[in-house]
Amino acid sequence: MKIQRTIYHLYLLVWSLLIPGCTDFVETDLPPSQLTGEAVFTDRATATAALANVYAGLRSQTLITGGSRGIGNLLGHYTDELDHYGDGIGTIYNFNIHSVLATEPELTTLWNNSYNLIYACNSILEGLEDNTALSEMDREQLQGEALFLRGFIHFYLSQLFGDIPYVTRTDYRDNAQIGKLGGSEIYEQLVADLERAIDLLPELYVTPDRVRVNRYAAMAFLARAALYSGDRERALTLSNDVLDRTDLYSWEEDLDEVFLKGSKGTLWQLKPVSSEGNTLEAQTYIFESGPPINQGALARSFMDGFAPGDQRAVHWTRGIANGTTVWYHPYKYRANLPTGSSVEHSVVLRLGELYLIRAEARMQSGDLDGAIADLNKIRGRAGLSDLEGLDRMSLEVALLQERRYELFTEFGHRWFDLKRFQKAGEVLGPLKPNWREYHLLFPIPQSELLANPNLNPQNDGY
Amino acid sequence: MRRVSLLMLLYIFLMPFCALYMQAGTVLEPPQATVSGTVTDTSGNPLAGVNLVVESKRIGTISGLDGSFSIQASPSDVLIFSMIGFKPLTVPITGRDVVNVQMEEDVTQLGEVVLNAGYYTVTERERTGNISKVTAAEFERQPVSNPLAALQGRMAGVNITQSSGLPGAGFNIQIRGRNSIGAGNDPLYIVDGVPFASDPINYSQTSGILGGSISPLNGINPADIEKIEVLKDADATAIYGSRGANGVVLITTKKGRSGKAELNIHLNTTLGRATRSMDLLNTPRYLEMRREAFANDGIEEYPANAHDVNGNWDQDRSTDWQKELIGGTVHRTMARASVSGGSNGTRYLMSGTYQRENTVFPGESGYQKGSVLLNLDHSSDDGRFKLHFSGNYVVDDNDLPAADLTRISRSLAPNAPALYDEDGELNWADNTWNNPLADLESRFSSNSKTLTTNGTASYTVLKGVTAKLNLGYTDARMDDNRVLPSTRYNPAFGADSRYSSVYKGTSSRTSWIVEPQLQWQGDMGPLQLDVLLGSTFQQQDRHQLGLYAQGFPSNELLGDISAATTLNVNLDSGAAYRYQAIFGRINLNYREKYILNLTGRRDGSSRFGPGNQFADFGAIGAAWLFSEEDFIKEALPVISYGKLRGSYGTTGNDQIGDHQFWETYSLGGTNYDGVSVLQPTRLFNPDFGWERNDKLEVGLEFGLWKDRILLAGNYYRNRSSNQLVGIPMPGTTGFTGLQANLDAIVQNKGVELEVTSRLVHTPRVKWQLSLNLSLPENKLISFPGLESSTYANSLVVGKSLGIRKLYYSTGVDPDTGVHRFRDYDGDGVISSPNDQQWTVDMDPDFYGGLANNIGIGRFELDLLFQFTKQQQWNYLYNGGFPGSMMNRPVDVLDRWRQAGDSANEQGYTTGNNADAVSAFYRYSSSNRAVSDGSFVRLKTASIGYRIPAKLTKGMDCRVYLQGQNLWTWTSYRWGDPEFTGVGRLPPLRQITLGAQLTF
Repeated sequence: MKIQRTIYHLYLLVWSLLIPGCTDFVETDLPPSQLTGEAVFTDRATATAALANVYAGLRSQTLITGGSRGIGNLLGHYTDELDHYGDGIGTIYNFNIHSVLATEPELTTLWNNSYNLIYACNSILEGLEDNTALSEMDREQLQGEALFLRGFIHFYLSQLFGDIPYVTRTDYRDNAQIGKLGGSEIYEQLVADLERAIDLLPELYVTPDRVRVNRYAAMAFLARAALYSGDRERALTLSNDVLDRTDLYSWEEDLDEVFLKGSKGTLWQLKPVSSEGNTLEAQTYIFESGPPINQGALARSFMDGFAPGDQRAVHWTRGIANGTTVWYHPYKYRANLPTGSSVEHSVVLRLGELYLIRAEARMQSGDLDGAIADLNKIRGRAGLSDLEGLDRMSLEVALLQERRYELFTEFGHRWFDLKRFQKAGEVLGPLKPNWREYHLLFPIPQSELLANPNLNPQNDGY
Repeated sequence: MRRVSLLMLLYIFLMPFCALYMQAGTVLEPPQATVSGTVTDTSGNPLAGVNLVVESKRIGTISGLDGSFSIQASPSDVLIFSMIGFKPLTVPITGRDVVNVQMEEDVTQLGEVVLNAGYYTVTERERTGNISKVTAAEFERQPVSNPLAALQGRMAGVNITQSSGLPGAGFNIQIRGRNSIGAGNDPLYIVDGVPFASDPINYSQTSGILGGSISPLNGINPADIEKIEVLKDADATAIYGSRGANGVVLITTKKGRSGKAELNIHLNTTLGRATRSMDLLNTPRYLEMRREAFANDGIEEYPANAHDVNGNWDQDRSTDWQKELIGGTVHRTMARASVSGGSNGTRYLMSGTYQRENTVFPGESGYQKGSVLLNLDHSSDDGRFKLHFSGNYVVDDNDLPAADLTRISRSLAPNAPALYDEDGELNWADNTWNNPLADLESRFSSNSKTLTTNGTASYTVLKGVTAKLNLGYTDARMDDNRVLPSTRYNPAFGADSRYSSVYKGTSSRTSWIVEPQLQWQGDMGPLQLDVLLGSTFQQQDRHQLGLYAQGFPSNELLGDISAATTLNVNLDSGAAYRYQAIFGRINLNYREKYILNLTGRRDGSSRFGPGNQFADFGAIGAAWLFSEEDFIKEALPVISYGKLRGSYGTTGNDQIGDHQFWETYSLGGTNYDGVSVLQPTRLFNPDFGWERNDKLEVGLEFGLWKDRILLAGNYYRNRSSNQLVGIPMPGTTGFTGLQANLDAIVQNKGVELEVTSRLVHTPRVKWQLSLNLSLPENKLISFPGLESSTYANSLVVGKSLGIRKLYYSTGVDPDTGVHRFRDYDGDGVISSPNDQQWTVDMDPDFYGGLANNIGIGRFELDLLFQFTKQQQWNYLYNGGFPGSMMNRPVDVLDRWRQAGDSANEQGYTTGNNADAVSAFYRYSSSNRAVSDGSFVRLKTASIGYRIPAKLTKGMDCRVYLQGQNLWTWTSYRWGDPEFTGVGRLPPLRQITLGAQLTF
C-alpha cells in the first residue's frame, strides 16, 4: 500500500511538473543549423555566408557550373564543339541532337536554380537596405557583389530563353505573377545593376585568388553585355578601362599558364569546394580511354578547323587513341583529381575575352586596324602569324574563328557567337539534322508557364 | 489555452479526494487448498490457454497444453473458466480436490472479442466505430520483415502496396484513400500505446536503391506482434485528433500468459525468386530492330559507338539479362525463441528473433535482423493496482548494392558482352560498354537500432475509478552509408582510389510521451457509463549528420573517412517537435442496446506558428443493437446479432514537417572561399494551420444463424479541407512551392463489405471463409485557382487525385510512320499541356481479399487471395523509343515499316528522326501507356500439421509449408501488376518451410 501511495504521489508530481510549462510547451526553438533571416544580416560573417551561397551555386549547381549539366557542356553539345558518346538517352543526348522540349527536366532545374540564386541576391540586397549593423565598407562590398551576380545570372537567362522576368525583389506575391521583359528592357536593368555594382565594388579583390568579383570584373562583364546588346561605345570604353590596368592584369604568354590559379590574366574565377580540389570542368571533359562512354569528345569538325600551327590544338586539347581512332577532349583544365593544394580554378572572366570584345567593338566602329591588333595579341600566343590588312568581311570571319578557338567549351561562348553573328543555321544546319530556326531560343519550362500564365506565350516552335 | 489549463486544474483538484479512498481494507481469508483438474472440449480434446479465475479473489491461472490446471482456492469458492470461442463456465468447488470440466463451444462470440481502440477497449459487439483487427494467428506464418506486409489483402479499406522486393524496402499504406494533396498521407502508428514515427530518418544520399527512404517500421518485428488494429472512422480516430485524419494503426506486442513457464521455438526457412519477367526481344529480333532503325533514319554506315550492330559485339550472342542479373534465389532463415509464464499476479514474456536473407542479385548482399521483446505484467492481489512494461529492441543490418539491376536487366542489348572475361575479371569488352556488375561494387549499407518502451501503471482508486499513467520512450538510431569505390569504373579510365567516395549518414530520433488518464466506469440503473479524461505531452527530437568523403589513399580505407582527402559535412541538422493535448471520451450504454460514444481532443503542436497552434477535434458515434429488441427476436430469430451504427466527426493532419513557419536561412552543406554557405530555406508563411478531415460513416452488421455468418457493410464519406499544400510557385519566386492552407476539398467515399462465415463447423472439420471488399472513390471537390497552379496538369475538379492527364493516340500515320494524337485544342500542333486531356484514374476501382481457413483434424490449410481492379502503366512508361540501343518488349514488333502500313508502333528510329522521338515520348504519356493492371493473386497458401503429442513426448509441435505470392492471374504482361515503381525489383515469390515447437 505504501508503494502504491508513493506511486500515486509521483503521479501527482508528474502533473504538477507539466502544468506550469504548458502554455510554452508547444513552442520550440530553431535547430542550430538554421538562423532567422533577421539574424543573418546583423553579422559580417553570416552575411558573407549568404553571399557565398550564390557563388557556390554557380560553381557547383547550375548555369555556369563546370559540371556536365552546366551550360559549358550542354551548349558545347548543342553547337559544333562537342559530340556525345552515350547510350542515346538523357539530357546531354537531347542537346546533342537538338531535341530539347519544354518538359526537359534539366532545363527546368536550370531555370529554377538560377532564379533561386537571384532570390538569394535579392534577399541579401533587402537585408542590407537600411542596415546599420555592418560597416559601410562591408555593406557596399556585399551589395556590389549581389548586384553583379543578379545581373550576371539574368544575362545568361536572357541569352538562353529570350524574354524573361527580371526579378529584383523577394516578395513571392509579386514574383509569382511577374511578366517578361524584352531584350532592351533587360539590358537597361542590367546596366543599372552593373553600374551600381561598379560604383560600390572596390578596385582590389577582397580575398586572395580573385574568387570574388571586384570593380574590374564588373566592368569586364558589362563590356560583354554591352557588346551583345549592340552598345559598342560602352563595350569599347569599358574594355579599354580594364585593359589599361596592366598593374592588376597582365597577359600570360604561355598557353599552359592561362588557366592556372595564379594567372594574371584572370579577372574572376570560381574556387573549388576543397583546398585540394580542382575544377569540375576537368572532371567533366577529361577521359582516359577511347571511345568515351556517356561523355562528350571534341567534334571532328572542330578539331579539323584548327588553323595549321595553332598551338591551342596541342596545349588545350588532348587526344586519346585506342589503336585505330583518336578522340580529343578539352584540356584547358588538366587537374581532374585533387592535388596537394588546388592548382586550377574555374575561370569565368579573363583578358583573352576582353581583347576579343574590344576587337569586335573596334571592328563595329570601323577601327579595323585596332581590331586586327587585338586579334593578333590572341593569335600570337597561339603561335599563329599576325594578320594584316583584312577587309571588314574577312575580319569578321577571322574574329569568329579566334573566338571559336580561344573560348571553346567556356560557358557557351560559341553558341552566343553563332546567335550574335546570325550563323547558327548556316553552321549547325548541316551538322544537326534536327536543326530548326526556332532553336535559337530554348523553351521556357512548361511547369513555369503553368504556374505563371503571365509568362505566356511560349517561345515560338515549342 | 486557458480552457486546457482549467480542465487540468479541475483534474488536479479532484485527485486528492480520490486519494482518500486509497486505503483498502484487509479482508480475512478462509483456509486455502490446492484444486487441480483438466479442461476439455465437448469432444474430449484438452483445451490449452483457458482462463481460470477464483471468483472471490480475482486471482487466476491458465490451463496448460494438456488442459491441466492447479490453483489455490478455498473449498467453498467458485471457479470461472473462460476462453474465446467457448461459453464461460462457472463451477463451484464444493470441497473437491479435482475439478474436471468440459467447455461448450460458443458460436456467438462477438461479445468476447475485445478490440483495442487505443485509449480504451471495446467489444466487437458494442463498438460504435470502425475498427478492423488482424491477429498473429492469421499472419504469423508469413515470412515478412515489415508488419505492413502482413496486412495486405486482409482488411477492408486498407490498401497496401510494396515499393520494392528488396529487403528493408518500404510499404505504401492508404487507409480509405488519399486525403491530402500535399501533406503526408501516412496513418498514425501506435506501438503498445506509444506513437511510432514512420517517416524515414536516414540520410537521403545513401539509400537510392530503396528509393531514398528506409521504412522505420522495419524496427518492429512481425513475429513479436500479437495483433494489429486499424481505426478508420471518426468515432475511432477523433480521440487521436490532429493525427487521426489518415487512420490509426495500433500494434500490440505479444504478452505473457501465467502458468508454467513455456518455451516456444519457431524456425523457418524461405526460398524466394523474382517472378513475371518481361518478354523482351531476342538477339535476331533486336538486331533486326536496330538495323531497321538505321535504315529508316537513312544511316548506312553504323556509327563507331553502335557496338551492337557495327560488329564490335558478337552478333550471335544471346543473354537473358533478367535471368542473369535478377534471377538469383533468395534464402531467408528465421529463428525465434520465446519464454513466457508467470504466477497469479505476474506474467512475463521474453523473446528473441534472428533473421537473415540475401538478394536476387549476383554477389554477396544481405539483410539481417535481430530483436528482443520483453513484456511484464503485474497485478496486485486485490487486482486494483496494475503495472505493465514492454520493451522492444530491434537491430537490423542491411547490406545491398547501391543500385537496383532490375532496370538495366530489362534494357540491356541481348547481344551485349559477357559479364566476366576468361580470367574471371569483369569484362569491359574493349571499353564498349558499362559492365552492369560494376554497379555492384558500389554498396549501400544501413544499420538501425530501434528501442520502443512503454510503461503503464494504473490504480483503481475506488470502485469504477481508475487512474492511469502511460509513459513511453522511443529511440531510433541509424547509421547508413553508400560507398562508391573507384573499382566501379572501367579500369581503362585510370580511376584509382582518389576517385572513391563515401556518403555517410548518422541519424537519431528520440521521443518521450507522458499520458495521465482518469477513467470512471459506473452505472445509473440500466445505463452504463464509461468516462475517460486524459492528457498527452510528447516531445520528439531528431538529428541528422550527413558526411561526404572523397579521395582515399587506398580502397582498403573506405571504411575510415578520416583517410579521405576531402571531407564535407553536408548536413548537420536537427528538428524538434512538441505536442500537447487533452482528450476525453464519454460512452453511454443503455441496456446493451443503445450506445452513444462521444470523443474529443484539443491538440497543440509546435509545427504551427503562434495563433495557429491549437485546434479542437471531436466525434459522435452511436449504435443500435436491434437484434436485442424483442420484436426482432420474435419476428426474425435467424438474426442472432444485428447492429446499425454511425459516426460523424472531425480529425486533423499535421504531417508537414517541423519549423516550417519560420523565415530562415540554413546551412547549404557546401562552402565557398572558406565560408560555409547559408541559403534561404524557403518562402515563408507564418499563417498556416491544420488540415481538417470530416468523416461520416454508417454501418450495418448482421449475424445469422447464431453468428455462423457475419456480414458487415459500411459506407463512409471523408472530406478533407483546408489542405496543407506546398502551393506550387513559379521558379521566378525563387522556390517551387510555398507551404500554405489552400481552400481545396478532397473527398473519399466508399463502401466496404466484410463477410465471415463458418461454413463447416464440426469437431473434426472446420472451414472459415472471410471476404473483404472495398469500393473506394476519390474526388477532388474544389480547388480554387487550379488552372494557374502546377497542379493544372495533374488534377481535375470532380475527378480523383489519382488521375493522369494524357495524350490520346490516334494511331500511326501510314505515310510517315509516326504516332499521331488527338489535337484537343485544334491548333494544328500537338503540345503539352493543351493536348494532354485524356484522363485515366490510376487508383484501384475495387480491391479486397478472400481468406480460407480450413482445419481437418490435425491439418490446417490457409489460403489468402488478394484482388485488385486497377489500371497500370505498361512497358511504354519510362521506356526508351524502339530502335535505340536498348532492348524492348516484343510488343514493338508490330511496327510501321513502309508507307501504307498500319501498325501499333511507329517506325523504328535511332534518335535521328526528331519527329519520331518526340512522338514516341508523347506516346509514352498517352492512353496507350496504360493497360489493365487488375489481378487476382494467391497471396498466401499454407498447410500446417500438428504432430500428435504421443510422438513428441508431450511437446506441442507444428510444421508448416507456406507459399507467398504463389500465383497471379492477370492480363498484365509487363512485370508485376501490383508494382508501381519503374526499375524496382518486384515482390518475390516465396516458399517457406517451418516448425513451431512448444515445451
